[in-house]
Amino acid sequence: MSKPELWVIAERRLDHIEPTTQQLITKARDLAGNSFKTVVILLEATADHLEDELTPYGPDEIRVVRDDRFPTATDAEHADALQQLVETYHPNGILFGATITGRSIAPRLQAKLQTGLTADALGLRYDGETLIAVKPSYGDNIMCEITIPERRPQMVTVRPNTFVAEEAAGTAEVTTTTVTFHPVDRLQVTAATPVVNTATTVGDASRVVALGRGAASAAMVNHATQLAEKLGGRIGVSRPLTDQDRFTHDDQIGQSGNTIHPELIINFGISGAVQFLVGMQDAKTIVAVNSDPDAPIFDVADYGYVGDAQTFMTALLAQFN
Amino acid sequence: MKIVVCIKQVPETNNVKIDPVTHNLDRRGLAGVMNPFDKNAVELALNLKDTTGAEVALLTMGPDDYAESVREGMAMGADSGYLLSDRAFAGADTLATGYVIAQALKKIGDADLILFGRQAVDADTGQVGPIVAEFLNQPQITYAASLRMSGPNEVTAERLLEDTKQTLVAQLPAVVSVRSELNTPRYPTPRNIQLSFEKPLTVWHHDDLDLDDTRLGQSGSPTVVTKVYAPEPVKRELTPLTGTPSEAASQLIKALKEHQLI
Ligand SMILES: Cc1cc2nc3c(=O)[nH]c(=O)nc-3n(C[C@H](O)[C@H](O)[C@H](O)COP(=O)(O)OP(=O)(O)OC[C@H]3O[C@@H](n4cnc5c(N)ncnc54)[C@H](O)[C@@H]3O)c2cc1C
Ligand SMILES: Cc1cc2nc3c(=O)[nH]c(=O)nc-3n(C[C@H](O)[C@H](O)[C@H](O)COP(=O)(O)OP(=O)(O)OC[C@H]3O[C@@H](n4cnc5c(N)ncnc54)[C@H](O)[C@@H]3O)c2cc1C
Repeated sequence: MSKPELWVIAERRLDHIEPTTQQLITKARDLAGNSFKTVVILLEATADHLEDELTPYGPDEIRVVRDDRFPTATDAEHADALQQLVETYHPNGILFGATITGRSIAPRLQAKLQTGLTADALGLRYDGETLIAVKPSYGDNIMCEITIPERRPQMVTVRPNTFVAEEAAGTAEVTTTTVTFHPVDRLQVTAATPVVNTATTVGDASRVVALGRGAASAAMVNHATQLAEKLGGRIGVSRPLTDQDRFTHDDQIGQSGNTIHPELIINFGISGAVQFLVGMQDAKTIVAVNSDPDAPIFDVADYGYVGDAQTFMTALLAQFN
Repeated sequence: MKIVVCIKQVPETNNVKIDPVTHNLDRRGLAGVMNPFDKNAVELALNLKDTTGAEVALLTMGPDDYAESVREGMAMGADSGYLLSDRAFAGADTLATGYVIAQALKKIGDADLILFGRQAVDADTGQVGPIVAEFLNQPQITYAASLRMSGPNEVTAERLLEDTKQTLVAQLPAVVSVRSELNTPRYPTPRNIQLSFEKPLTVWHHDDLDLDDTRLGQSGSPTVVTKVYAPEPVKRELTPLTGTPSEAASQLIKALKEHQLI
């Protein structure tokens, strides 16, 4: 008996693979164990070789469909192609990134297949052949577990940066297959331009100095910039600080901002609201500085200092010099 | 031109609690309001009404008190409302919700533009719009950051993907879901609030629609919520940094060196 297939739908972002795809491959391998076969579905143009960006992550198979219309295909055209593949191969589960693209194509495919789709999962596990997805709701105030007990495939979109991509040994078998492209002529993608964003973001930094409402002064920001430079990292902020001209939503950590997985995060003057914590609690080492000994941030911290953020920052910088 | 805006009613705050005994969501005493993201869709429709004279109808599926959100939308300026209310629709997931909404839209007929909010703030899926588009076999533009009429029967929209801006052109009819950055929803004026009570609100029950009963409500929903709980951040063992600030700072530096972080 061949193993049931667990699919990851590869997403393209201009000429590259969107990083959530690689994160999902690592997670899928982990979920699959010896019971499932991990298959990445890649729709690309005839001259593309985006599979080269996927093989290092070690799925069992990369199934490629080539058509020059895919790079500018609309959601409905993608969903149509995927439906044909599902009806040929009958996967047990399908994972999409909960990116704008994934969240747009997956529900259309779900409607075609008349199956269930769990949105924006933060956790996944198999119980036998039932996929259990952990999903936040009510603005991350509530978590719930959702299953699709009776219908197949079990579909899930997974929040970007929830899992960490890891290269893996093993050689992925690259195969090609075909579908019939059914063009939808009432909708055209007439342009796609990269939004210029060259600055490294807090999401990429391996060391983060995080500032909250208790560390919002200009002096604090200035000192935090120096500390971040010394650590080779970046500043991140809690939501209230995005009101300052100096910070934008791109700098925000948390549910409605970035989910980050740095080696180190030092939090100054941040209380530790759940919406903040969900964005950073997977950091390897967490340090918290807060004047309130009962601040919830201390519950998730490895190292904590109770006291004034500015005073501690000054002492810390002095010893770095 | 005819525009139908789909709206959902949601609890006024996201601070819901878990009942410690039943482990169910405790929504007692929470007033319902129109899903904030849906106001952006209503505003877009009203904008098109102001410029092109479009007719704007609101559509919601839910218990009878969802009529309040429909009234609110009519007080903003929409012309009419539809409420799809029946016990048979209760407990629907996005697939079963999308099915009933799509069947109602077929009955309303000839909508040129069907608008959705980006997502409902309670369940946060954003799936209902694309599901309805699929059931109606219409093109979709999700997360529209701008939208304008670019021809008598055509809209041009921009969609911001994570790091790409797409321009899309759709021939109507089409389904569009909007980003909240698109516009600032207007407030109801006293005159429109008064007028809203004279505007038609049609209530459709199960028998008013052409429905396959196996696709309704809880039994027509493939997804099952098996557990709800309050998120508990993973607790860690805290090592306090103690003494004077300078002593505490040197303890931290020592620890960071041990972890090879500096
Ligand atoms: C739907 C939704 C989404 C949200 N998304 C996010 C999100 O993505 N990211 C996010 O951050 N928030 C988010 N929030 C907001 C979140 O709930 C909190 O309000 C926010 O994280 C609080 O930020 P803070 O810790 O900086 O401020 P506060 O909670 O005000 O905490 C300030 C802390 O600083 C301490 N302090 C004060 N003075 C000093 C001093 N001199 N020295 C040291 N410590 C001091 C205080 O003891 C306190 O603990 C969201 C909320 C909702 C409802
Ligand atoms: C805690 C919890 C988690 C859930 N998770 C899932 C899940 O992962 N997958 C799933 O399939 N179902 C899920 N559901 C069920 C889902 O909430 C319902 O199906 C709901 O009726 C519609 O989904 P939504 O709130 O996610 O709306 P969204 O899809 O987020 O709403 C998008 C837009 O659709 C329109 N819309 C939504 N609902 C209505 C309506 N009733 N009437 C008119 N227009 C509407 C609005 O314009 C809205 O802005 C969950 C429910 C709960 C309570």
